[in-house]
Amino acid sequence: MRRGIRLSALNLALGYVLFGIAALVCFAAPLWYAWQVTIRDGRAEILREDADRLAEVFDHGGATGLAAFIDARVGLKIANERILLFTDAAHRRLAGNLGAWPRRIPDRPGTYTAPVDLRDHRSEAVFVHVALPGGYHLLVGRDVAKFAPLEVRFWLGLAAAIVILSIAAAIGAVLIRRELLTRIHGIRQTVSAIMQGELSHRLSTRGGDDELDTLSQTINRMLDQIEQLVHGISNVSNSIAHDLRTPLAELRSRLEELTVTRPPPHVTFAELEAAVGDVDRVIRIFNALLRLAEMDSGMRRSGFVPVDLAHVGTEVVELYQPAAELKGIGMSLRGSKAALVAGDPVLLAQAVGNLVDNALKYTPLNGHIAIEVSQRADGFTELAVGDNGPGIPDGDKPKAAERFFRGDASRGTPGIGLGLSIVEAVARLHGGALRLEDNHPGLIARMLVETGGARP
Amino acid sequence: MRLLLVEDNERVTRFLVKGLRESGHTVDHAATGRDGILLAASAAYDVIIMDRMLPGQIDGLAIIEALRKTGNRVPILILSALSDVNERIRGLRSGGDDYLTKPFAFGELLARLDALRRRSQGGDAGTSLEVGDLRMDLLSRKVARGARSIALQPREFKLLEYLMRHAGQVVTRTMLLENVWDYNFDPQTNLVDVHISKLRQKIDADAEQPLLRTVRNAGYMLSADA
Repeated sequence: MRRGIRLSALNLALGYVLFGIAALVCFAAPLWYAWQVTIRDGRAEILREDADRLAEVFDHGGATGLAAFIDARVGLKIANERILLFTDAAHRRLAGNLGAWPRRIPDRPGTYTAPVDLRDHRSEAVFVHVALPGGYHLLVGRDVAKFAPLEVRFWLGLAAAIVILSIAAAIGAVLIRRELLTRIHGIRQTVSAIMQGELSHRLSTRGGDDELDTLSQTINRMLDQIEQLVHGISNVSNSIAHDLRTPLAELRSRLEELTVTRPPPHVTFAELEAAVGDVDRVIRIFNALLRLAEMDSGMRRSGFVPVDLAHVGTEVVELYQPAAELKGIGMSLRGSKAALVAGDPVLLAQAVGNLVDNALKYTPLNGHIAIEVSQRADGFTELAVGDNGPGIPDGDKPKAAERFFRGDASRGTPGIGLGLSIVEAVARLHGGALRLEDNHPGLIARMLVETGGARP
Repeated sequence: MRLLLVEDNERVTRFLVKGLRESGHTVDHAATGRDGILLAASAAYDVIIMDRMLPGQIDGLAIIEALRKTGNRVPILILSALSDVNERIRGLRSGGDDYLTKPFAFGELLARLDALRRRSQGGDAGTSLEVGDLRMDLLSRKVARGARSIALQPREFKLLEYLMRHAGQVVTRTMLLENVWDYNFDPQTNLVDVHISKLRQKIDADAEQPLLRTVRNAGYMLSADA
């Protein structure tokens, strides 16, 4: 793994260098070519013009005239950049600043590049060779070596650019390695730790909004959810063990007592009926757990249809109305005519039912339960169930929706401790949440469901 | 009723066959899907009880689909340990007529078998229902017991209609929740009991002969017979 990261940093730097060099070459090569062509052509043209002028002098003054003209020019040093040579048909020097005909220049007229011996040094020169009438030869040349320093500077500049580029790339690679790869390395280490069970670890974030930070924040949110789920599962496993033990223990002792005491049939059957009741309670717990698991998996989302939460509330209130009347509890339903959300009607009804069921359980005789459906400005549709019962102490509120949590107030009341968990899971499945607040006195449970989902 | 039970678990089979025979039904049993199809084709049954998990990784739903393809229209009750709603919907889509989740109360099974048979015999398409001297007019939505007219809330009307359509049969609380309220969850409080007792007050209030009876450990029955 470490080797992989090193390699990738090196590769990255190498890639940058190669890319930079390629870019430089792409830039320099045409420049070099253009320079070469322009200078060479330009130089040849100047030389040719020069040669033409000298040929004109020859036309007017003949060989002697041209020789005199050339001698005068060489003498005046006007042509100090020019190499001039005027010879007869046998290449014998008649005038000019070059001692002898350069061996590499052929007999035919044209433009040539050839080494040449100048007075003080040996150099490379470009020549234009013109054949004059009468077999005379005229050679007009120019020392190319004068441009050598410029050329050298060009190459040096290019080399310097490549060196600077390589250094910059190396520094870049180091920075990338330090910045990016160490951060990725950090992420990897954290994730490895999490994989080994340290679920509380989180990726470090800088509060910025660059890509890595956004990624880290997303991963952290994912980890929050995973941690919550895993803790939920382990809590639930513990709670299941506890909560199932009670009815199972009762069942066991009931049955054991029967086998030991062998009471008369009518007592036996009564006990057996009670035993079936115990089993039913266990089954109810399992059904609730299965439903929770089903929701946690998010599978139910596929069956979402437009649901009017106000209508769900009305139906649930109607279902519970007679039970409330028995306790002398008044139920009222207020709210918007239609509160459309996208959802699972059965689950929403069960959730609202659980809230009303809870309220009924804890509201004293002749109490009041108020159900209100409202569309909030923050994109949620809320169904609130408020009662004037004992409420939930502030310390217990965050725990109330945990699976199998049963507060002090609920001791002695029937229930399996999963009612609010189901409400919470339903709300979460619908993109919302369950909020438990003080109703002064009593409890107000607000189930929030995402409104936006209702639009197709 | 002549019943066909397709179930591979021996213990469940023994319990169901014994219980169903004691309730006065004739029961044939098939332990595999293949035998089930053969039996279903060879005799006319009133209801088929089909377990979902059959030997050889065969899903009872596949058997039901195969049966339906042969043109067999016998009502089928699916038994399954798979309780979630999607499975239930799949079961009913494959051609099953009712879906009962294991574990179940035996009374629940009996009541549902009765309801299925009744349904297959063709529901009365008439515009009124009658049980004893209780009369329900489905068009004008009026209910009367003898000469006394009874005012009912819409849901009470639906509840009574269901009970009257299944008169003489045991109807369980779950069946009422599913069919009258469209809820397939179990409210923790005995809400159905409360609704029934309200309805009973209205229809049996001062009658000599009560029509709506509670059947212990099973549910309710609306019947004119004492």
